[in-house]
Amino acid sequence: MILYSIPIFSQLEAVMRDLLKFFHTNVGLTWAWAIVATTVLVRLILVPLTIRQIHSMQSLQRHAPQMKEIQKKYKGDKQKQNEELMKFYRENHINPAASCLPMLLQIPVFISLYYTLKYFTHHFETAGQDLSWLHPIIPNILNHTTSSWGGYLLLVVYVASQMASTLFMAATADKTQRILFMIMPLFFVFVIAHFPAGLVLYWVTTNLWTVGQGLITRRLVARTPTPAPERRSSRTSPKDDGTSGNGASPEGPSPKPAPSAAQQQPRQVRRKKKRTSRR
Amino acid sequence: MNAVMRLPSKLGIGLIWAYRLTFGALFPTTCKYHPSCSEYAVQALRKHGLVKGSVLAGWRLLRCNPWSHGGFDPVR
Repeated sequence: MILYSIPIFSQLEAVMRDLLKFFHTNVGLTWAWAIVATTVLVRLILVPLTIRQIHSMQSLQRHAPQMKEIQKKYKGDKQKQNEELMKFYRENHINPAASCLPMLLQIPVFISLYYTLKYFTHHFETAGQDLSWLHPIIPNILNHTTSSWGGYLLLVVYVASQMASTLFMAATADKTQRILFMIMPLFFVFVIAHFPAGLVLYWVTTNLWTVGQGLITRRLVARTPTPAPERRSSRTSPKDDGTSGNGASPEGPSPKPAPSAAQQQPRQVRRKKKRTSRR
Repeated sequence: MNAVMRLPSKLGIGLIWAYRLTFGALFPTTCKYHPSCSEYAVQALRKHGLVKGSVLAGWRLLRCNPWSHGGFDPVR
């Protein structure tokens, strides 16, 4: 309500309306599939950011052993541990996957879609229109999600997809934070139940996109030939690549046992710096 | 600073909390910086007041993009 009085949001809503209308009238999709198409379009625009993420993950993976070392060193002090890790990122030009700006860019999309669906009947003729999605699962995308049995199904898919996408996101999140992110959708379901089903549809689509992207990224990262540090792992201590750490790089399993890098660190760091500066 | 002078930045911090409890929770993400962007914004507002603090927080948000390196970056 408050947001809608800010001019930029009503303008954004107009853009969203035009986009949906384009997919509906020009492409010939139903309104529900137009929402899915718009979501895919938004995510496609964000793909260049994803390519950066793949690079980041590769870099994170190369430095995983050293990061575990830091985590072990400052086990007791979370704050200090975080600071040291962040310093390490900066020194080695690592670019952890998540950043705030792309996430913030999705909020206006979400808000504009919310208002578009809320005031849908003011702008479009809905009588006799097909507003269902995979009939009879969602009979009307403008209604509250819980107004039909299919809505509950959609909510279940939402929770599952949200949890799955959390798994593929948040490369730097520590264990507690990740568990929190995993549990959160269970609570949000109660809020989301009052949203129009179309909005949940957007959410599920974007989550599934994240999951798909995560799967592809995982593949790519795992397939990348492992660089120098991995090859010089003559003195690997097996306990190092265990699950003791809090998973600084949840994406992509390390293809080889990671070396204990404490003694090799100086050489590696120099190398990495050269690499990144050339990029 | 007295209480009246601090009021605008308090309002700003309130807005950040509103964000944290709504969208921050709905779109969970981790920040590549430490402190995180929202924590940075709170600290910047406390330290520099609403105007300068907002500018600093906005600049930090712009820096928190996939092309930056992240890392330890406290409010100065």
